Amino acid sequence: MSDSPRHPFLHGLSKHRGAPPTVVVIFGASGDLTARKLIPAVYNLSIDGLLPADFYLVGYGRKPIPDEEFRTLAAGAIKEFSRRELDADAWGRVAANTSYVAGGYDERPAFDRLAAHLAAIEKKLGRDVQRLFYISTPPSVFGPILQNLGASGLAAKHLGRPHHAKVIIEKPFGKDLTSARELNTTIRSVFAEHQVYRIDHYLGKETVQDLLVQRFANAIFEPLWNRNFIDSVQITVAEEVGVGTRGGYYEESGCLRDMIQNHTMQLLALTAMEPPGSLDAEAIRDEKVKVLKAIQPLTIGPAGDVARAQYAGGMVVGKPVPGYLEEDGIAVQSGTETYAAMRLSINNWRWQGVPFYLRSGKRMARRVSEIAINFRRPPGTLFAGETARFDLAGNTLSFQIQPDEGLSLILNAKVPGLETRTQPVKMSFRYATTFGSNTAEAYERLVLDAMVGDGTLFIRGDEAEASWKLCTPVLDYWRSVGRTGMDSYAAGSWGPPSADALLSKQQHIWRQP
Amino acid sequence: MSAIFESLPGIEVPVGAISGHLAKLWTNDRADGEAAADPEGARATQLNVVMHFGLNTTPEDAAAQFRVISAFSKRYPSRIVVLCPLRADVAATELRAKVFGECHIGKSKSDKRCVEFVMLSYSRSARPFLESAVSVCLSTDLPLYYWAHSFSTSGGLADYRFLLGRSKRVLIDSARSPADALGFPWPNASALRDLVYSRLLPVRQGIGQFLSVYPPALLVEGLRAVTIQHAAALVAESRVVSNWLSRRLAACGADPARVNFVAATRPAELRAGLVVSFDYTTSGRFFRWTGDFAEGQALFEADFGSGRTTLAAATSLLNPENALSEAMFF
Repeated sequence: MSDSPRHPFLHGLSKHRGAPPTVVVIFGASGDLTARKLIPAVYNLSIDGLLPADFYLVGYGRKPIPDEEFRTLAAGAIKEFSRRELDADAWGRVAANTSYVAGGYDERPAFDRLAAHLAAIEKKLGRDVQRLFYISTPPSVFGPILQNLGASGLAAKHLGRPHHAKVIIEKPFGKDLTSARELNTTIRSVFAEHQVYRIDHYLGKETVQDLLVQRFANAIFEPLWNRNFIDSVQITVAEEVGVGTRGGYYEESGCLRDMIQNHTMQLLALTAMEPPGSLDAEAIRDEKVKVLKAIQPLTIGPAGDVARAQYAGGMVVGKPVPGYLEEDGIAVQSGTETYAAMRLSINNWRWQGVPFYLRSGKRMARRVSEIAINFRRPPGTLFAGETARFDLAGNTLSFQIQPDEGLSLILNAKVPGLETRTQPVKMSFRYATTFGSNTAEAYERLVLDAMVGDGTLFIRGDEAEASWKLCTPVLDYWRSVGRTGMDSYAAGSWGPPSADALLSKQQHIWRQP
Repeated sequence: MSAIFESLPGIEVPVGAISGHLAKLWTNDRADGEAAADPEGARATQLNVVMHFGLNTTPEDAAAQFRVISAFSKRYPSRIVVLCPLRADVAATELRAKVFGECHIGKSKSDKRCVEFVMLSYSRSARPFLESAVSVCLSTDLPLYYWAHSFSTSGGLADYRFLLGRSKRVLIDSARSPADALGFPWPNASALRDLVYSRLLPVRQGIGQFLSVYPPALLVEGLRAVTIQHAAALVAESRVVSNWLSRRLAACGADPARVNFVAATRPAELRAGLVVSFDYTTSGRFFRWTGDFAEGQALFEADFGSGRTTLAAATSLLNPENALSEAMFF
């Protein structure tokens, strides 16, 4: 839709104020994500006046739930999880157009009932309505849902027109390269790629979007953004929590699949990609794919480019916590990693020889996601030699994605006084301080983007495959060796010794952000 | 008399010592005698705003508009300079200043933003010195926005070229400005924004989203009249909606010579609202949007040849601080 010329009556309105009449259908409507993120996102979009007047919300799930009960559950979710208080009038307007359809995901007649329900909405309204399907279910039912959307005619509704049907799919996009390709084949048998929005909520975060602005809207960074000036890059996505009640899911997933293959690789792609020709979704995604494809295949095995570990018992925020193997639902001899780190090389003109270090883990010292660009040290010996007087740090530009979004730059400055002494100082920009903290959440932005047909912040099928192509050999190797080589780290620490060893060859050390 | 100046908050300081007193605002000791925390990290000025009260501004209105700019600054921390002309002018050259600061505390620990205001009262004969006085109050290198409120003549405002020419946007409210304000040959005419147009964003969005579903040619086929009825207090809003519809329908292919635009005062039952109607030569085809801003309700009714559509929706005018940001940034 973003490629179509805008209707004259939308001229002068921002893209986000031009959503067509839309019905959002959530598959997995009684699930956790729906309550925590999707319902609050819809509610906040309504408060901000960004939903069209003719907006409808339909929940779909296996469990029979009367419409009124679904609306009550949704109101409860807003009270508990929304960034804004529940306003009865504002919610009332959305609730009046909210309903629920019960049915199995592999039950074709149920999809016919859904199609009839949506057609009735359209008929009552007297206008075409865009169908936006949000698949927020376990991946095991992605296939049946997609196939039934195709067979029932829902996927092809209004195809060829700007308000054609669209589908948002939650991760994981497969569990390895083979399954990712199979999923893409299933998706493409039903939907054209331009109808598909693979969501990675990290891309909806303000700081992640700001990365492109910082890189390409400021003249001072781009000339330095290459192997001549950058020494290394570290990308960290650290969690403080353990697996909690998600042990069963996590055993099948692990850190590489759960965090590295998607969130962390997306951060890498945005950091390392070439300037796109435009802000068009395809131009940006083309560049992301190019850089992912330029990553050199990993050396796997002892002393290779990858480390993995499980957390052992330790202390988190002053309280003792059990190790991964003591958590509920975890196999005694589990081979699932709760921490993974990688050393990557990008084989292109810009990045040859610059190591990119990626890490993610559960039960780490604090919850933090950041991208740190470490610049080379200046040449010469002007301030060398007297280390007591000249305390010098490397220049580091760090983008903090969560929490406390912002960026900071480490510079060296003269300490005031008669003697020339130096000291590193930190220049900071914090989003909350400048723009306030009550800004739109990632899901609000992404749901609205899909409604207006902007795929810039979503992952294209070939992007997902490029990332799996890199990670799948690692997963295959780990499966083949069982627990051999599995390191451990104390809960509440920054990771295992084997991860430190990845950096030590080049005299680098992990940051403790 | 400096009634406007007196109606605004702040501590009066010598004009030559404004910067020092602004800095001192944040270094006073706390009530317990300890030094206050340095708010340097909380001052995050994004832009400069010069808010210029015209001679038609009353002290009560000035206080109300100050609350608007204060609310705006919660979302967009700014260095705000408020210019207050003396209504009953004095012969002597008089320039007085007040400084004021406030911090807005948000939900999170880091969500604290502090904003600084400088109020300048000036006599007519002090105008030649105003440019320098304002320039030292602004935050260097950040964009400047100029909001002229309730000025009495466009020609008189045109004297303030140093503000009109340098500003990224010049904001006026055509409901409270001289009749020639929108068409006046301002030095930087492309920067001019009407707050009435901004206030009407929800109306433009609602009608625009509704009509954008239909092919442009269908909307103008056989269109013979556009009528805008308005509550008595919404004359400017009616005019702006009419102009907007005229431009949008022309972009859809309407021949302006064949479409009759009519504005009329609405009967009393619509206390605060607008009604927009399209009439067609073809029987049965019509479009009507009824917006009641007091109730926050709108009703769309339409038939473009494929059956009647009726749709209730929420509507409103943007609140003043949001209208300001809309006019400045979009």
